[in-house]
Amino acid sequence: MTKNRRLIPLAIVAGIVLIVIAIIYWAEPAGSLPSFFPGHEAGSGHHHLKHGLLAFILGIGCFVFAWFQTGPSAARSR
Amino acid sequence: MHPISYFQGAILGLLQGIAEPFPISSLGHGVMLPRLLGWNIHQNDDYFLSFLVATHVATATVLLLLFLDDWKRIVRGLGRSLRDREIKSDDTDARLGWLLVVGTIPAGAIGLLFEHPLRSLFASAASAAAFLVVNGILLLTFERLRRRPPRPGDYLGDSDARIAKLSWRQAVGVGTAQAAALVPGISRSGITMGGGILFGLSNEDAARYSFLLATPIIGAAGVLKLPDLFGSAGNGVRGPALLGALGAALTTYLAVKFLLRFFQSNRLTPFGIYCIAAGLICTVIFALD
Repeated sequence: MTKNRRLIPLAIVAGIVLIVIAIIYWAEPAGSLPSFFPGHEAGSGHHHLKHGLLAFILGIGCFVFAWFQTGPSAARSR
Repeated sequence: MHPISYFQGAILGLLQGIAEPFPISSLGHGVMLPRLLGWNIHQNDDYFLSFLVATHVATATVLLLLFLDDWKRIVRGLGRSLRDREIKSDDTDARLGWLLVVGTIPAGAIGLLFEHPLRSLFASAASAAAFLVVNGILLLTFERLRRRPPRPGDYLGDSDARIAKLSWRQAVGVGTAQAAALVPGISRSGITMGGGILFGLSNEDAARYSFLLATPIIGAAGVLKLPDLFGSAGNGVRGPALLGALGAALTTYLAVKFLLRFFQSNRLTPFGIYCIAAGLICTVIFALD
């Protein structure tokens, strides 16, 4: 994997944002989600658990990516 | 009265176990068979979805057990790479593990977001039959466009080392493409085997990669929906679902063992021909119905 240390802060910020989004999806019903969130539905009491799970997994993915970028430089990937 | 009888549960379970690893679309067959036999079972009924949870969990469990030693090595490889913060060039297990991770995430994401709308849109048996024809054409196309024909001795040596030579982009591509299997009639294993073949793997290596890639995605989909089976939607189907799960476990085991041997010297072609023939016949039957 090609290392690029400049991506580390970006990946960490993206990871935090995605985890926060996941928590919002889990905590708030669809009707209370910000209107720009996918799945927002005025008046709905449904919780978008799957959307939250997806955001959480992507957030963890960002952290893992950042973690690898902090590692020793390696040969370029194919 | 059970919405799915024990007999129906057993047949659907046995079918699921065969059709999931075979590149012929288990979902498509699960939609078409009840219509062909005149069973009052519909793909979008809550109880049927609950039933499918059990057969999918059984399939994923058998796949996990069949490749348990491989998964142990892969998980250890993932752990090593996380500890070292790099994937060492000679660490096949770590690289294979991360290829499976990056292949699973896009399909999982698409599945989480679009599974329900796609299932609703393409729920009919007629649509599944039409897409089964498309699946057959895809399988034949994969074989036509493959980089290299099967060779004697393809199955000798370290299969994982050959699979681990896939690039990250190829792994993401194959992983994303398997989301097409959300449409009944399109086979997840067919898409992943075909993708592997297009990227230079032998049929056997492609099948192995497909089975490894299937385990987390089928398992996660099943586990996520387990509450449906144990909730009100599962009332009346838990008994048939258990029987179906046992049947699916048995046939998954036999099907995977068969396919790994079959692909040592054979191609996807017979499955492509079967899908086109079965899809066309079912299309005609459903049109005349």
